[in-house]
Amino acid sequence: MRRAVPPLLALTVAMVLADSAVVTLALPDILRNLDTTVGQVAWVLISFNLVLALVAVPTAVIFGRAQPRIISAIGIAVFAGSSAACALAGSIEVLIAARCVQALGGALALVGCLELLVAVYGERRGVTVWVTAGVVGTAMGPVAGGLLTEAFSWQAIFVVQVPCAVLAVPAALAVRAAPALPLDRHRPAIRPNVTLALLSAALTAALFLLVLLLVDGWRRSPATAALAVSVVPVAALASRPLARLLRTPAEVEVAVGCFLIAGGLAGLAILPSANLAWTVAPQALVGLGLGLTVDRLSSQAMEMRLPRMHHAGWTIGARHVGVVLGLVILTPVFTEDLQDAQVPAQEAITSLVLDAPLRPEDKIAVAEALGQELSEQQGQVPDLHRAFATADLDPAARPAAAQLERDLDEQLERAATRAFRDSFLIGAGLALVALLSVLASIVVPPRRVRS
Amino acid sequence: MTSRLGLVGMPAVALLLVSGVLGVQLAHGGGKFEPLHSADPCVARTVTSQAEGIDALTENLVLLGLDGAACRLGVSREALTLELAQTGPRTDAEIDALRQGLLGAVSRMKADGSLPEASDLVDEALDNTDLNPLVKAAIRALPDSVVNAAVKVDDVLNRTINDLDLRSVLANLDDQQDLNQQMNAAVTQAVKDSLADRFRNLL
Repeated sequence: MRRAVPPLLALTVAMVLADSAVVTLALPDILRNLDTTVGQVAWVLISFNLVLALVAVPTAVIFGRAQPRIISAIGIAVFAGSSAACALAGSIEVLIAARCVQALGGALALVGCLELLVAVYGERRGVTVWVTAGVVGTAMGPVAGGLLTEAFSWQAIFVVQVPCAVLAVPAALAVRAAPALPLDRHRPAIRPNVTLALLSAALTAALFLLVLLLVDGWRRSPATAALAVSVVPVAALASRPLARLLRTPAEVEVAVGCFLIAGGLAGLAILPSANLAWTVAPQALVGLGLGLTVDRLSSQAMEMRLPRMHHAGWTIGARHVGVVLGLVILTPVFTEDLQDAQVPAQEAITSLVLDAPLRPEDKIAVAEALGQELSEQQGQVPDLHRAFATADLDPAARPAAAQLERDLDEQLERAATRAFRDSFLIGAGLALVALLSVLASIVVPPRRVRS
Repeated sequence: MTSRLGLVGMPAVALLLVSGVLGVQLAHGGGKFEPLHSADPCVARTVTSQAEGIDALTENLVLLGLDGAACRLGVSREALTLELAQTGPRTDAEIDALRQGLLGAVSRMKADGSLPEASDLVDEALDNTDLNPLVKAAIRALPDSVVNAAVKVDDVLNRTINDLDLRSVLANLDDQQDLNQQMNAAVTQAVKDSLADRFRNLL
């Protein structure tokens, strides 16, 4: 049991931070299943990040003097209970409320697990494991959520968290760790936390918008999208050996990471086609950037700063403020751009139908079926296949109609890709602002922390 | 220990990677993956039809007429089509532009020789009318040269377009049977008027 304790604590940290974006690929299913609106379903994502951002520091301050094993165990138990409540939620209101409680439990678990990991591994390694688990969890969240949604249902995302968390409760109780020092000896590290917030906002574009583009824009299955976005965590893991090989100073490493994230997001903004292969290289850039920045910045914000729990609270808060900031900035931009994309998409479809190599009666049949389908699928990128399947066509016209369907699908993919362009570019802009803040800290180095 | 390679190497690798990825994407059309842009309706378009006879003629006329109408209204052909597909009242400008567009389409087809002769359409036209079988047989027996001399397709089309109640036609787009009746009546009347005029001119 003792050997399983550290991995279980690291898993808990990864799981809590994965929850930040784990439901991204499940949102369309939740929307249908709970019969809600797009605006409401977005709060399943926003509520968790917002609550975690708001309570991380107060939780660390209030519970800083308590036994870490106790607050970890309570936090993990609350997290497990609320995960079960999420899985059983029969309405969007219950789900959002459960997500808020999940974030509260998650905040307790995160700050508590930090102290426990430090007690197990020592200061440097403990913090590193805590930070790395968080980075892996953040990057793996959408992938795990997509695979579980495709294989089972959106509820499975929350169901699998329950046994993991239940096992982690005795693991947390098994670690003897002293409460953190009562005096706050160091002020929060502003620059790393601000950079973390900006990068988290930028990464929201990569982790959140990309899966939306793949699932809702290009109509790929959640599992396909999950596999496609797994490039980000793989590249993030590959970044560490690269950094070790080149022995780069930490600040340069972070600056390079910001630049790679900006470059990757710019790449996602100018995809040449809807072929998934084109997303690999930009995602690899984002993943490399993620691996070079988030754990370095988290370490910079926490290293040698006491009480650790307070500073952990600040980094968690900064990261999730960034996620909320990203969602608040990007959501209206891409929803409006998607709305604006409808007219050019409809005109492109009309043009292709008018010029299609079909007899006039077949064109009219296709146009009627498409009109019906488009009016039924208002507010989302439509699936045109049903229109072609139900259209009353001459059998001889089927091959030409099949080609027309492929051409129309490509037009929809083009419209969706174009609609996400500005949001990816805004994400790239946020990463460049983060780069500027890092460059500023290189030009004007921060004062060293007195230990 | 920090090496010079570490200080310069990683930024150089990053610059290379980012410029490489963006360069390859731009070279393959990155940034231009957008929906098809509507063509300028004022620029003459070549239209073709998979149909034959009257259906082909109608389709070509409608496609060219839409271009002409859209050009007059200053919108794309696709925007006008989507607008006309909606139910609701039509403006005088739309109706006028559509009529002028269709008349312009007849002129263009006549000018480029794509307008068929009356003899090419007479059998199909007779099949769609409820004339006395004896009259139909008599007309079919006429030599093509006589039919072509008696009925000028451009004249019949112009008369049909001018006489057609386009508001009513647009309102009946969903009712194929009603639309056919309306079109047949307008074409038959136009043929009669055209023949009467030609007889008057002969006398």
